[in-house]
Amino acid sequence: MRKEPSHKIPRKGLTVWRLYGVISTIIVLVLAGVVSFLTYRFLWPTFIYYIAIGLFILNAIFSIWIVPNIRWDHWRYEVREHEIEIQSGLFVVKRTMIPMVRVQHVDTAQGPILKKYNLANIAISTAATTHMIPMLLSDDADNLRSRISELARVAEDDV
Amino acid sequence: MSKQIYKLHPISTIINFLKGLKELIIPVAIILFSRFLNRSEELNFWTDLFPILIIAIPVIYILFSGIIKWWTFIYWFENDELRVEYGLFIKKKRYIPFERIQSLNYKEGIFHQLFGLVQVMVETAGSTNGKPEVELTAIRKDAARLIEVQMNHSKNQQRSIELGSNIEDGEIVTELSNELVHKMPNNDLLVLATTSNSIGVVLAGVAAVLGQFSEYIPYDLVFEELRVFVQFGVILIILVIIVGLLLAWLLSIAITFLSYYDFSVMKESEKIIVTRGLLEKKKVTIPLNRVQAIKIVENPIRQIFGYASVIIESAGGAISEKEKKMTLFPLIRKKRLDPILNDLFPHFALDLNVTRPPKEAKAFFYRVDFIWLIPVIALCSYFYYPFGLFSFLLIIPIILLGIWQFKTTGYAIMGNQLTIIYRTISRVTFLVEKKRIQVVVRKQSYFQKRKKLASIQATVMSGLTGATAKASNLNEEEANIVLDWLEHEKKGHLER
Repeated sequence: MRKEPSHKIPRKGLTVWRLYGVISTIIVLVLAGVVSFLTYRFLWPTFIYYIAIGLFILNAIFSIWIVPNIRWDHWRYEVREHEIEIQSGLFVVKRTMIPMVRVQHVDTAQGPILKKYNLANIAISTAATTHMIPMLLSDDADNLRSRISELARVAEDDV
Repeated sequence: MSKQIYKLHPISTIINFLKGLKELIIPVAIILFSRFLNRSEELNFWTDLFPILIIAIPVIYILFSGIIKWWTFIYWFENDELRVEYGLFIKKKRYIPFERIQSLNYKEGIFHQLFGLVQVMVETAGSTNGKPEVELTAIRKDAARLIEVQMNHSKNQQRSIELGSNIEDGEIVTELSNELVHKMPNNDLLVLATTSNSIGVVLAGVAAVLGQFSEYIPYDLVFEELRVFVQFGVILIILVIIVGLLLAWLLSIAITFLSYYDFSVMKESEKIIVTRGLLEKKKVTIPLNRVQAIKIVENPIRQIFGYASVIIESAGGAISEKEKKMTLFPLIRKKRLDPILNDLFPHFALDLNVTRPPKEAKAFFYRVDFIWLIPVIALCSYFYYPFGLFSFLLIIPIILLGIWQFKTTGYAIMGNQLTIIYRTISRVTFLVEKKRIQVVVRKQSYFQKRKKLASIQATVMSGLTGATAKASNLNEEEANIVLDWLEHEKKGHLER
């Protein structure tokens, strides 16, 4: 049995994911409101109300509560000398292994919400793919970025 | 090294011109066609002249731009670089160091063959957007040879400097020896042509042309005639369709035959050279060290007759305008393939003991398809009630295909080589070395976890997005073995 990667996403990350969920729920609420209004105005069949309300409630439950929880629970990462291992996923758990030699460059990115919470995303690019470790503490992300780029430079193609 | 300046052959004006014309054909045809339909308008001199002007201006433009391009285009060798310069008002210069050139590819159209010329396409690692870095439209064959000689010369010089320059210059520049590895026999070519799927290309082409014209087709008139036509009976229509498909098929056979005629593969020190074509000869070079992975593809029909095709995933360097992947063998007898691959890629092993998914995995191969199958069946059955129930029969082929995929899937690790075998419909054998793997991903869904199964997928660099092979529903432990294998041997954890 393989061990899971050692590091988890900080608790604050879960809060931000919930916040994203709240934002998407508000958008759904606005859309549902518009549809309900149109239904009222043009006397469309009543079941449309139920669909709108149902979608709103489902979206709220899933995007604020269930999805962030599961996602946060599954997210793991570990940066070792010779490889980076990332575990992610919702229903399908993906375990990605990137040999350090293959890393081309590392980026950190921070939007306004992440900045407020002092978090940052880190993106690791290989020649073919890009992989993200989200919601890291800003300082951790910066450290990790420089560490990966250092390790990637040191790692030699020994095969 | 004296700086001698070379020009393209004058024929390149005509080739440029014809190439430009080819792009104009569809708009021109539309203009002519619409003229033809609007005949009834009163004719006066200017309205008559107008469309001709519309056609003539771009034609003249193309003609002149072709001439100018030839007139101003020069290339020469300097400082171990291939230098190209062209343009009348805006001078474009492009200098390519020889060591950056990955391959020189050649193409000979009909015009080229008449005058003993060749088109040279210079590829570097950077030319991923489907276009070669430099294109010499038409030069004499000895001039093309000269580029190659210059390139090899400077590359060897570079190498001898790196080696400590104790080797004499002249010693290294040996005559390049080509070794013919494979030449496609004619009956193989016939099989390739008849089983190729370029019929799809032909049909798509016809559809595209019809699409262009659809605005101008007087459907009312056509339908009127169609009604008369229908009265002739369904049999006639079916006959017409069959004849049409047959023609498309014959056309596709002809196309394949022309483009793969005289297909041969040669080996030259560190390169593989593929030549093919009858009317338009193509010669493509693949540097061996750019090969990322090898894919052996066997589609079901060809698998029965013991044929396979081989595709090479190569890093950077678009090989030709439309193919991102390089077809090494479009069709080859499986028996002949193994010795040839061993010859070309001695570091790849082909006989392996493949690890298959466990028995519990069988259902997983078709269960996934039920996600889309059930709604389809439900909708069909609901809307087309009695006959829609026949959609339940879809389950049978899906399950059979799933079982077939289950029987095919597997992986093998041998030394530094990972082999993944999988099937969507065609059976694909994906061979890759550890040092070429960019990423390995293990995927495990909730249901897979309960049965202790996991899928494993490996990605290599190829074109812009990379190429991925996936072995589904292996034993969890087996998937972990692949991850362990990729992991560096030393378990030095550098904790933060």
